[in-house]
Amino acid sequence: MTTNNPFPPAPPAADDAWLDDLLVAEGVAARAVYIDDAGFTARVVEALPSAVAAPAWRRPVVVALWGGAVIALVMAMPTFFVELLGTADALLSLQPFSLASVGVALVTLLALTWGAAAYSLRG
Amino acid sequence: MAEPSVSDAQLIARALVTDDRHAFAELVKRHQSSVRACLRKLAAGNHALADDLAQETFILAWRNLASFRQEARFSTWLYRIATNCWLAHNRKRREELLGDRVDAVADGEDETMPHSDDLHADHARGAALKLDLERAMGALSESERAAIVQCYHNDLTHEEAAYVLDCPVGTVKTHVLRGKQKLKAALAAYAR
Repeated sequence: MTTNNPFPPAPPAADDAWLDDLLVAEGVAARAVYIDDAGFTARVVEALPSAVAAPAWRRPVVVALWGGAVIALVMAMPTFFVELLGTADALLSLQPFSLASVGVALVTLLALTWGAAAYSLRG
Repeated sequence: MAEPSVSDAQLIARALVTDDRHAFAELVKRHQSSVRACLRKLAAGNHALADDLAQETFILAWRNLASFRQEARFSTWLYRIATNCWLAHNRKRREELLGDRVDAVADGEDETMPHSDDLHADHARGAALKLDLERAMGALSESERAAIVQCYHNDLTHEEAAYVLDCPVGTVKTHVLRGKQKLKAALAAYAR
């Protein structure tokens, strides 16, 4: 605790300046004091509500449901999907790039995205 | 003070994306002093109440971190939550006191601030002034006290104070002006 008096002696002023000075000085003095943590952060972290964890069975069930939905769709409209695949194959065979180059480009893009995210969240 | 190697924004992103409690703990460590000081001022020196409200503030911040849009500084956002916690506490307390106690409290607050006779030495005068200022602040309305605390104690601009108090800038200025008029009247003895 400092022995310096942060509060200026009240002047015999007729205007409001002395009150303004007093409030400003009081604010400056208060901001200069650091309140010791003294376990406060630990108490807060202890009291934080835990994240609602998804049950272990949720993920495989969701994957199985999506897989089932895709298979059912293909079985319901087989000619549509055969035509779709044929058209895609014809389009790709007309392009000057190979499937392998498309794959490399996709992997590079994913790596760049992941790298940028990891960089921004680095510790 | 040296700039921290990891910014508040990075810590917030880590807490949000990876549910990182250590990152949030670092945010609490950085801001606990200013938030507790602000609440101590709002709670008119009641440190126990201020610390309870500060804890509530950070828990609410954790729960609502996803809604923080970086439209203000993180500290300003925390002041906003802290002020709302304090106002909610007062509302709850008022409901509990509803009836005869409210009038008694209001009457007590309107009394002229007593002050020591021994005000000749500067230090003693400063100490008495500090005490009387605290009591005078305690007698202001919630809105006036909150506006003065944000503008003077937390050194926010009127625009930032308006964000914290969730009201127009003009209203903040009015609250500050009225609050200062009351403080001036309560501390008139020191202006002679």
